[in-house]
Amino acid sequence: MSQVPTVGIIANPVSARDIRRVVANATSLQITDRANIVLRVLAALKACGVDRVLVMPEAGGIRGHVERGLTRATHRRDALFPDIEYVSMPITGTVTDTQLAARRMAEAGVAAIVVLGGDGTHRAVVAECGQIPIAGISTGTNNAFPEHREPTITGLAAGLMATGRVPRSVATLSNKRLDVSINGDQHDIALVDIALVSERYIGARALWRPDNFRELYVTFADPEVIGMSAIAGLLCPVSRREPGGVYLRLEHAKSAARTVHAPIAPGMIIPVGVKAWEPMPANQAIKPGLRAGSIALDGERELSFSEQDEVTITLVENAFQTVDVSACMQFAARHGLQVGDGTERAITHQALE
Amino acid sequence: MSDNPFPLSRDELLAAYRTMRTIREFEERLHTDFARGDIPGFVHLYAGEEASAAGIMAHLNDNDRIASTHRGHGHCIAKGVDVKAMMGEIYGKSTGSCRGKGGSMHIADIDKGMMGANGILGAGAPLACGAGLAAKYRGDGGVGISFVGDGASNQGMFLESLNLAAVWNLPVIFVVENNGYAESTSVDWAVACDSYVDRAAGFGMPGVTVDGTDFFAVYEAAGEIISRAREGGGPSMLECKMHRLFGHFEGDAQTYRAEGEVENLRANRDCLTLISDRVTEAGVITRAELSAIDGEVAELIEQAVTEAIAAPLPTLKDLTTDVYASY
Repeated sequence: MSQVPTVGIIANPVSARDIRRVVANATSLQITDRANIVLRVLAALKACGVDRVLVMPEAGGIRGHVERGLTRATHRRDALFPDIEYVSMPITGTVTDTQLAARRMAEAGVAAIVVLGGDGTHRAVVAECGQIPIAGISTGTNNAFPEHREPTITGLAAGLMATGRVPRSVATLSNKRLDVSINGDQHDIALVDIALVSERYIGARALWRPDNFRELYVTFADPEVIGMSAIAGLLCPVSRREPGGVYLRLEHAKSAARTVHAPIAPGMIIPVGVKAWEPMPANQAIKPGLRAGSIALDGERELSFSEQDEVTITLVENAFQTVDVSACMQFAARHGLQVGDGTERAITHQALE
Repeated sequence: MSDNPFPLSRDELLAAYRTMRTIREFEERLHTDFARGDIPGFVHLYAGEEASAAGIMAHLNDNDRIASTHRGHGHCIAKGVDVKAMMGEIYGKSTGSCRGKGGSMHIADIDKGMMGANGILGAGAPLACGAGLAAKYRGDGGVGISFVGDGASNQGMFLESLNLAAVWNLPVIFVVENNGYAESTSVDWAVACDSYVDRAAGFGMPGVTVDGTDFFAVYEAAGEIISRAREGGGPSMLECKMHRLFGHFEGDAQTYRAEGEVENLRANRDCLTLISDRVTEAGVITRAELSAIDGEVAELIEQAVTEAIAAPLPTLKDLTTDVYASY
């Protein structure tokens, strides 16, 4: 960890832009909303004593609005925000930006990375950040992984952990991950679910045609979340913290003996045929039954495979760390971390004098 | 041959490739002929953006109407306008689709549902609303599609059309072909709301962003959006992120582009290479089949140019014809 606690922020400008706006009335969080979330997180970090934040540069518009907010604060002589520094990197407008930023932040020794995005953005960060804890904020479409809460609180928790006021043993949690290998090569990861579908092309990426669903592997299955893992969540829940996951074989709802009416996308509750399910133990490479199709990672088709390919899926425990926002805030309350004697000055207007 | 994993049949895939290759060959030829001084007026080339036109138009029939832009050759070809008539038009000859009096930016063929390329930026959007309104009145399931560039998307007419389409729930799709530059001005400088999906949301309609260099991504998203419109689900916006391989207009020195930018795009993001690789690697179509199409297309374009050069110019008496429509 750096001497001065530094926190990273990765805000994806292009999450929540796919076809699910049309097929499922999914949210389209505006760029200005995302910028305001970044400003709220920055304010929370500063309030915890984090003076330096490393930010992923992007050309999707968030940066301009954030800088406008910072400039306005300076004009008003507010000291609400920490110093921000952009990661020096090329901007491609693709997922490689998120991956590279996460890698650079890990190399720079940040104490935590705050992530704004959906499951896909979080997956890209986890692929590169090693054991740096991430604090997720949901700004995507299907957000099974990041918890839904006001980003200010997420920022406070990350700040309390980064400054050491909440010990790391209290502030972080270990998470499960799924690894997918094709012909022996580690190809990619998923944080929540891997779905195998019979469609063998990638196209618009999202999943919304249940007739093509064949297999589902989940790290956790919560009946309160949305997306593919909801199918398991409503049938055989597994928590984020318990060992192992679940594996389900799916089939066409019309021929299935059992169907689950699952919210596989926002506003889209449809019957999915389930043939069978069983626990998925950790560290055992499972060979899918489907011989050719596409592999959807956390709800988006990313890879396709044919009869010639050998695919294996493995669940890994203690794979990466997240900031336990709830535990941080409970600890802060128990130890009076946010309680003063009235003599402190609020970090607000005129504080730069 | 392997099983076909794609949502299009082999014949449909070959047709889509032929459309894209025809557009590319047409544009490459115009690039050469314009530089030689053979072509009057201005031309704006669509090369590099073929996946958008082909992926969207694969869902349309002659009953559906499109309103194109100043960069309209690709839309015309994908909508089925005769390539020889287009070449004649661009050469300013009487065999042209508008008898040689319109040129590149006014190619139209109403029978094919192509309401016209358009030299006035953003002016296609209200036309598409009109087509959508007509289809809605007739109840024939037709749709109107407005193509617009990232630059013209800032025009008042375009924004008014978004509002009109939303309040009248018209079967209209607004396709923003975002190639990153309004002439020479980067999108980053020129589009205030940063995201076209945000803009669509502001008008109460869904917006979707796709990789416009990926034929299959465009095809699948466009299919859902067009079906929604046909079934009464109302208007949508589709942003295709893409790249143009030539300048804004022919003769553009492109000093605003980074060194090596176009070479990198040709090497790594060429939509024709991407679709070729996808269909051949899946074992559905062979390289030889694609090469055969390439040869046929090259011959077609050669014939189109030869015939255009040989064709007569419009005469003085043609000046007053085709000015008013007869009802």
